[in-house]
Amino acid sequence: MIDAKKYIFTFVITFAIFTTAFFTSTFFSNKRVENVKSIQDNIAIDILSSETQFSLLGEVPCSNISDNILSPELSALGDKLSRTESERGSNDADVVYLKKYYSLLQIKDYLLSKKLVSKCGATKKPVFIIYFYSNKGDCADCEKEGFVLTRLKEMYPDLRVYSFDYNLDLAALDSMKTIYRIKSSLPALVIEDKTYIGFKSIEDLTDLLPDTLKTAEESSTTTKATTSKRVK
Amino acid sequence: MIENILQGLMYPFLFLSMYFQVLLLISFFENKKKIKHEEKHEVKDYPSVTIAVPCWNEEKTLAATLDSLLKLDYPKDKLSIIVVDDGSKDNTLQIAKEYAEKYSSQITALTKENGGKHTAVNLALENAKGELFGCLDADSFVSPKSLKIIASYFDVDKNTMAVTPCIHIRNPRTIIQRMQAIEYLMGVFLRKAFGQLDAIQVTPGPFSIFRQEIFSKIGNYRKAHNTEDFEITLRMHKAHLKIVNSHKALVYTVGPSTAKGFFYQRLRWARGFLENSLDYKELFFKKEYGNFGMFTLPMAFLFMFYGLYAALFSLFSLVSQLTIIFSKWLTVGIHPSVPTFDIFYFNTTVMSFVVMVMLTMFLLVLYIGNTLSDDKQEFYHNFPIFFVTYPLFVPLFIGRAIIDTLMKRKNEWVLQDTKESVNR
Repeated sequence: MIDAKKYIFTFVITFAIFTTAFFTSTFFSNKRVENVKSIQDNIAIDILSSETQFSLLGEVPCSNISDNILSPELSALGDKLSRTESERGSNDADVVYLKKYYSLLQIKDYLLSKKLVSKCGATKKPVFIIYFYSNKGDCADCEKEGFVLTRLKEMYPDLRVYSFDYNLDLAALDSMKTIYRIKSSLPALVIEDKTYIGFKSIEDLTDLLPDTLKTAEESSTTTKATTSKRVK
Repeated sequence: MIENILQGLMYPFLFLSMYFQVLLLISFFENKKKIKHEEKHEVKDYPSVTIAVPCWNEEKTLAATLDSLLKLDYPKDKLSIIVVDDGSKDNTLQIAKEYAEKYSSQITALTKENGGKHTAVNLALENAKGELFGCLDADSFVSPKSLKIIASYFDVDKNTMAVTPCIHIRNPRTIIQRMQAIEYLMGVFLRKAFGQLDAIQVTPGPFSIFRQEIFSKIGNYRKAHNTEDFEITLRMHKAHLKIVNSHKALVYTVGPSTAKGFFYQRLRWARGFLENSLDYKELFFKKEYGNFGMFTLPMAFLFMFYGLYAALFSLFSLVSQLTIIFSKWLTVGIHPSVPTFDIFYFNTTVMSFVVMVMLTMFLLVLYIGNTLSDDKQEFYHNFPIFFVTYPLFVPLFIGRAIIDTLMKRKNEWVLQDTKESVNR
């Protein structure tokens, strides 16, 4: 004999479990977006603070400018944003908003870097790479280029990589594309104001990076080794 | 794009699977008192029983199987054993004859030309004179109390026409056997829960016991695509005959010890399931066949295809992940780093929560299975093995079974690489 009530009761329980899973997932996903937004706000404050510091100390020597003038959180934020995008999808309204905000913060940080270069020259010269990618499935090498840039950042922690989604509808980003003459052929990289189209391996990029970055990294490694020897 | 479609299809599958699990758990828990009550019933006058032992080249295990039957705690004058040698080429017949001579009041040895398991069981049936009739494969072993426990189920309800036992894998040693130990433990719960719904799917070869009168009503065993135990269950449901499960009647069977042996056994079972289900398609979605016709049989049939899809989807996801890792390795090499803990990166998708709930329910099912059976299994050790290895086999044997059925290939017994692994 079939007990219809049991089947309905089972459906209600199963539906309740699925609904709970859905709401729990949405709750955590929203928390994640809030977390990214809060980091972005912190970075915005950092950048504003740095710009203000520049204005206040206009004529002060470079030695008076603090070492952490550029936000260290920008790179970690990129990773978190990428995770949020992979879970919610590229077309999600929150993701698009966060990416636009993130792109603007990167451009502001980039402008600050340029300011630092023009003021302090080689003594505090930050090295950066601007990277244009697409995740619409029309850039076969973008994933590989991402691996290369992540590895490069691990090798040279002082290197700043600004990643921009080519397809993002943002006027400031369009200006960047115009300045560096970026067309639809991707991946595209800008190093030392020079644009490179197509995939570049670790070796290619290492050759293109200025020697100051590599020398700084080597001396940092040597110092660490010497210090550790002394500790022993 | 393909991944999104595949992922979208996973949700109805997960919903159905969870629905199925919840239904079985509800059925089990609402009958918990009844199950406890079943365990206490004692029989005053035990019925006469005939146990058939069909064997084909089973010289290695036959003696132990017969010894386990002789040790049954059951009135000797009520238990007769018929060993049927199905044209063995080894010493099976000689061993059977030795036992028949030594225990002439209880054991009879018969021999015939090889014709398949169903012919051997039918020969025993023709010679059986008891009220109950059962079969024990010659690679399976019974616990002493099992027959008395089974008899009590026939005594408590005169409408009960068949009783299935609780089956465990005997001494699981290899990875493949340990994997099956978990699968069989799951079966302990499933059989009990299906029993509560009057929807037992199969009366397994090792020690399922029937009222002998049913064979005159529904006929003897048939070849039935080499899965005669499933076919006779379908025939019993068609004739509205009641099948119940006895969770304390322990039977131990030797599971295939190798991957090849396991694959061919499951291929035969999967094909037998598909082909017999098609032969009895009139049972599907018919109210008169109760939960079996309306729900469990159609669901089991659907899960054959959905199981294949789910396994392929998991495999596709795994391959995608491995491709990314491989591509990264080719591009920048391997540079291991200490992973950092950040709650931000926890997987919080709907699917991950649903899978977590299902996994918890699966562990609950195993726990119940272990509690029901008197022989507690060490499932915590074997569970990880099952979790890793079983999904690898599913697409292989289900996929091949579907292809073979569509291509109308012959479904044959395939001898496994070791005699020990043959489970007829």
